[in-house]
Amino acid sequence: MKNMDNRKYVIALMVLLVSLIFTVRLFYMQVIDDKWKDRAAEISENKVITQPARGVVYDRNNEKLISNVVYYDLRVVPNQARNIDSVSLVKLLDISMEEYVKKMNAARKYSKRKPSDLVTQIPPDEFSLIAPELYKYPGVFEIERTLRVYPKKCGAHVLGYMNEVNANDIEKNNYYKSGDFIGRMGIERYYEEVLRGQRGVKYYLQNAIGVETERYENGKYDTLAVQGKSITLGLDWELQAYGERLMQNKLGCVVAIEPSSGEILAMVSSPAYDPNLLVGRRLGENYSILEKDTLLPLFNRAASATYPPGSTFKLIMALVALQEGVITPESSFPCNKGLVGCHNHPTAGSVSDAVKMSCNPYFYAITKRIIHQGKSPNGFKDAAIGQDIWHDYVESFGIGTDLHVDFPGLSRGFVPNTAFYNDLYNQFGWQFETIYSNSIGQGEVLVTSIEMANVVAIIANRGYYYYPHFIREIEGQKAPEIYHQKNYTKVDSQWFAPIVDGMWRVVHEPNGTGSRARLDSIAVCGKTGTAENFKRINGVNHQMTDHSIFSAFAPMDKPQIAIYVYLENSGFGGTWAAPLASLMIEKYITGEISDTTKENRILNANLIPDASDILPPKQPKKRNR
Amino acid sequence: MRNQNDSSFADLDWSMVIIYFLLVGLGITNIYSSVYDPEHPALFDQITQHGKQITWLGISLFLGITIMFLETSFIKKYAYWFYWVTIVLLVAVLFTPPVNGARAWFGIGAFGIQPAEFAKIGVALALAKYLSTTDHLRSRGLQIKFSLLPGITFTRMPLPALLMLIIPALLILAQPDAGTFIIFTSFILVLYREGYAGNILLFLIIAVIIAVITLVVADSSFMIPGLKIKLSGKTGIVLSLVTLSIIFYFLIRSVVLPRNRPPLYRALIGSLIVAVIFVNFIEIGYSKILMSHQKERIDLVLGKIDDPDGKGYNINRAKAAIGSGGFFGKGYMKATLANENQGHVPMQSTDFIFCTWSEEWGFIGSFSLVLIYTFLLIKMIVIAERQRSDFTRIFAYCVTGIFFYHFMINVGMAIGLAPVIGIPLPFFSYGGSSMMSFSILYFILLKLDAERKVVLQ
Repeated sequence: MKNMDNRKYVIALMVLLVSLIFTVRLFYMQVIDDKWKDRAAEISENKVITQPARGVVYDRNNEKLISNVVYYDLRVVPNQARNIDSVSLVKLLDISMEEYVKKMNAARKYSKRKPSDLVTQIPPDEFSLIAPELYKYPGVFEIERTLRVYPKKCGAHVLGYMNEVNANDIEKNNYYKSGDFIGRMGIERYYEEVLRGQRGVKYYLQNAIGVETERYENGKYDTLAVQGKSITLGLDWELQAYGERLMQNKLGCVVAIEPSSGEILAMVSSPAYDPNLLVGRRLGENYSILEKDTLLPLFNRAASATYPPGSTFKLIMALVALQEGVITPESSFPCNKGLVGCHNHPTAGSVSDAVKMSCNPYFYAITKRIIHQGKSPNGFKDAAIGQDIWHDYVESFGIGTDLHVDFPGLSRGFVPNTAFYNDLYNQFGWQFETIYSNSIGQGEVLVTSIEMANVVAIIANRGYYYYPHFIREIEGQKAPEIYHQKNYTKVDSQWFAPIVDGMWRVVHEPNGTGSRARLDSIAVCGKTGTAENFKRINGVNHQMTDHSIFSAFAPMDKPQIAIYVYLENSGFGGTWAAPLASLMIEKYITGEISDTTKENRILNANLIPDASDILPPKQPKKRNR
Repeated sequence: MRNQNDSSFADLDWSMVIIYFLLVGLGITNIYSSVYDPEHPALFDQITQHGKQITWLGISLFLGITIMFLETSFIKKYAYWFYWVTIVLLVAVLFTPPVNGARAWFGIGAFGIQPAEFAKIGVALALAKYLSTTDHLRSRGLQIKFSLLPGITFTRMPLPALLMLIIPALLILAQPDAGTFIIFTSFILVLYREGYAGNILLFLIIAVIIAVITLVVADSSFMIPGLKIKLSGKTGIVLSLVTLSIIFYFLIRSVVLPRNRPPLYRALIGSLIVAVIFVNFIEIGYSKILMSHQKERIDLVLGKIDDPDGKGYNINRAKAAIGSGGFFGKGYMKATLANENQGHVPMQSTDFIFCTWSEEWGFIGSFSLVLIYTFLLIKMIVIAERQRSDFTRIFAYCVTGIFFYHFMINVGMAIGLAPVIGIPLPFFSYGGSSMMSFSILYFILLKLDAERKVVLQ
């Protein structure tokens, strides 16, 4: 047997070899390779996010415009829900069997032991019907989540809405994680970071079925959630809601500003919709319905539409002419319809008269004097100099500039300057006669309704403005400093008196174009506008029914409200926009409406353009009132 | 002759006693941590596994001390009796109602007994007695000759010894308990040490290597570089074997004297044929005969499938637990995966006990435990080799083989080097039967070793 003795070494060697392999393997797994540590964390640790309550939004009278309400998500743990009665569950949850099967398959694929969403965002009233039945379905349970509610059911365009973040949001801001909600438009978007607060994180250890068992490291790495801040807006919800009511069955917008502060009192875009439509699990469905609507209810006309200002623009022309000294308040020009179309009215003997009667040739004449001041003997060069003077004046009224409005998605108007026309007609290839339409608010000039409401506020203030803004307070703190500074136009305040006088006469004198805006108790100052417009249909420009416009402020001496009303394709400014503006003014100042006939006329009017609003083709001819 | 009592303890190997209590003590504290229940915090609480394990330890110690006071001759004399008793128990257990799909348990109240655990003792004793009392290498009548290949005579195997192994192994397989069945192959080590199965061990190692390669490439195919011919993995192996044989042919031709060459050529051709048949056998067995779940276990170890939350759940969690222990571990009672309350690692107090230990004590702990077992196994070989009694030496190798297999498969399984086979880690895993059977083996070995000098007198 001697020869077999060496075999003990073979056996001992096998033992040592196995031990060596184990040691190397263990050293690799436990010390070198981090893969298993990550894997263990993934398996055993759970991060629970505490979402802070989002800030509440109040209006100027401390009424809640946006608050939070508890919704419910139903979640399911596939392993525990193996034997549930799916037919009755589907019925209870009001979903289709296909959807249920799809969700369950996805849940199983994700994890059999961890919960997945089954139905999300069930409103409390629906959940109260589901809750008593849930005990029949083991593995199905609810978790709470707060969603937005808009108790006043108005101001959708102002307030915006929220939905889930997309890949783009996550990339842009690493705060957001898949499944988070983010403010999408309006105030919800602009004040997203103020309203949302800061989420908190708690780390737990979880067991094999995903139930939390204890705090990780006694909460050493946990962070507390910071509540979102509440904000107060300058908006007056009653005025906003009333505006939306008046604007029903009309296209267009209304912007109202408090001249003494620049706070936006109302911003109506029509058609509007109930902001609560874009909350909860019907969000996607409702959104696509709104999106497909040809009247574009999701489009915020007040903030994003640029329109020709029509005759409301004449106010600026008069102020610029006075400031430049090319006319005096008493200057008179004949109503020469050969220059530009007009309606029949007596000759304007003063600026005030011209405003009152909205005389087109008068403003043609004064704008020509602004553009052609004789600074160069060459008419073309003269126009080039004058146009830039004019441009700078108009921009000093905020048109086409950054008004620092605390609102996303704002458009700017357009004020053409010399360079623009040089591009269009070559240098020195144009003069006033080429571009005269601007003088009556047609032509190349474009405005947004916020800009024009601000122009009215400037006139109400006789020469200055605050940047229009929504914010009033952020949790007791005043609005940012930028909204407390006065901005002056290039027109001295002394020149505003004749214009204001003319605006008063527009409403109150027999020949005034805006007499429908008259209120017995309040001195309303206004200016009508009627803008020609064209629509391209099948490649051909068709003239449409004019836009009906009115700018106004009231009362004449301590103005409380400046308003701009723009009704698309509704006709003469004095017919629809003026009375609508006066109703808004009365509602805001007195809180009630004295003339219900006037109110009913507006409420019952359906001014949504249809085929009949496409006028028969004709030579474009400027007429403006 | 010296007093029996004196001799029992005079030459007792106290280092073995220390290792015994060290492993059992670590085992119980580890079980305590792995199944800790705040409602039953007491160490001796009989509802808990650690409480029960202490009871089993008490019973095992009682048995161990009893063994120490037995006469060595008694153990030798009744070796076959032990064997037949365990065979009867193995047959009887097949008529009990199945628990978890296997008829492996005799239930006694809350405690259960697995006769398969005790069969190892019976076989070890019987094998030691048989091999030590007969000069088998000369009694041709009872041998079978392995000469599968022309040119190579494997060896002669004593038929009764083989039957002694095969009968209980088959009874255990009938339960079914594949884990314990595999332990019976550990007795090949004993046969090897005793002069049998010399080439079988080598043959087995080569066979395992070829089998693993075959399984890895079984479902795959590859392209020969430069040629547009697609070959299956199996063809690739066969081509490699042929290439290897050609290399050996040239080696033989250049090194070996011409007159010695023919038998080597025959051996080479024979080996090649057997190897090719073996590859086909494995490939067909794997793809046609094995059940899908058996294939999955093999695929998981080979890394062919990765399904951490499904089929690979157990092994994935076990590896995560061990790997997350790091160098220093998470600390005692701080396992977040291999813990009853967290429940990520299955059977963390029995088959996967190594996970709790390694997670809580890190590499320091796992390496120490590997060292302790390595020391124990080497110590057992030393003990075996210092015997002058054949019976004791053979028995010691049986114990060594059993412990070695348990250690190799249990730890190998937890770290993903062996398929998941449910067998306990000696003295460490919770379980009464294994505790008792390991203790009995251990104490018989101690007793026999303590009398190594008595035998001479």
